[in-house]
Amino acid sequence: MSRTNIIALLIFGAILGYFLTFGADSTRKFKAGVYQLLAPFLTGGSGLRKQITSVRTGLKSLDQLERENTALQVENRALRATNQSLRDIEHEVNRLRHALNYRERSVFKLIAAEIVARDSSTWWRTATINRGKSDGIETDMPVVTDVGLVGKTTTVSDTISIVLLVSDENCKIAASVEGTREQGIVSGERVTTGLNPLLDLNFLSKQADLKPGQKVYTSGIGGVFPSGLLVGVVKIFRVRELDGQAQLTPAVDLSHLDDVFVVTGRK
Amino acid sequence: MIFFLLLLVLVLVAQIAEFFIPALPWLYHAHVYIVPVIVFYGAMALPFPLMLALALYAGLLLDALTVQVIGGKVEISMGYSILLYGVLAGFMHGLRPLFVRGRWEVHCILSGICTSLIVLAQYLMITFRRGSLIFTPEIWWQIAVPGITAMAIAPILFWFLQWMGRMTGYSTLSERSDFE
Repeated sequence: MSRTNIIALLIFGAILGYFLTFGADSTRKFKAGVYQLLAPFLTGGSGLRKQITSVRTGLKSLDQLERENTALQVENRALRATNQSLRDIEHEVNRLRHALNYRERSVFKLIAAEIVARDSSTWWRTATINRGKSDGIETDMPVVTDVGLVGKTTTVSDTISIVLLVSDENCKIAASVEGTREQGIVSGERVTTGLNPLLDLNFLSKQADLKPGQKVYTSGIGGVFPSGLLVGVVKIFRVRELDGQAQLTPAVDLSHLDDVFVVTGRK
Repeated sequence: MIFFLLLLVLVLVAQIAEFFIPALPWLYHAHVYIVPVIVFYGAMALPFPLMLALALYAGLLLDALTVQVIGGKVEISMGYSILLYGVLAGFMHGLRPLFVRGRWEVHCILSGICTSLIVLAQYLMITFRRGSLIFTPEIWWQIAVPGITAMAIAPILFWFLQWMGRMTGYSTLSERSDFE
């Protein structure tokens, strides 16, 4: 091995050793810094993706149109494209109106945020939102929609934050079941085969006998999630050796998240 | 040097692009990884010191963008991805004479295998932290599919990077006589 290679290897080892000594705080700060640097690309990429999706949707309708009526093809293309873009705007207006209503009637102080990117790794369920410290967001703040709980913030930079979704195994939520005294801990599953996976509600009593359709809410224990947020709906209940376990369908469709709210406190 | 800088830029672009590439619903929602293929190409095309620098950069980005800090816990400490990339890229670099002689197909296959090894190593590390070692068919698929997709895109990506190398005046072909 040449002298240059040995020096390179030593430098590599030294830098590696430096990073291996990072604790949770240093790692979080480093992550926040990198996310802050990449924030313009992530938000820009999100806009670009939306445009591409919109164009693709438009082209699909043109294809259908071509099959249906070849004679009016050109005229129909223009009309459909215009119609599509108007429908997009209408959908956007309805969505924002709905979100605004929710913010006004909610008992929580909410900050509206947009999902700019989804998790890029296999083993973690996260999403990136376009709000950060400069908007008053901090670590471990609940993230919700008008339907229910989405997750909590983990790493927060100035303008961008990472949200750990309820479907991640590490997102543990103290929860209670509607109409019963049953309490347990909700968490995601380690490996899921869908974008909208099931959640596990563990540590229930064996006599719980939950029925499909019963709603599960945050109990407020633990301090991160306030009580009364809908987490999911019971799908099945089973008795294990030591406790009872229920599988829940998440209240929020995690595969189609666009707008969310970060809970910063109560009104 | 220009080629090396271009590889750094490409790694960054690919890492950001991975955020916007949806998981494959028809393959157990496995993810597509492009960065490892670029790093492993760099491992074959670049001299040893630059290969280490590329592995360091890619590992750092991977750690910073994917590893989660929850509460006071880091699931995979900063630096493990650097180590992982360093070891695997070092292994690929060892087979560089084959690549310089024009036998790139071995490296395409190895790029896929090494990509799956990265995903497997991540899984083993989080399993060590979380407990209960689970290996279901879904997990095997989520480990294997990134490797298979990396293997599939490697020839196109290698061809593009080879072309880019020629455009920037960097070519491993000049070293061919050293290994023949």
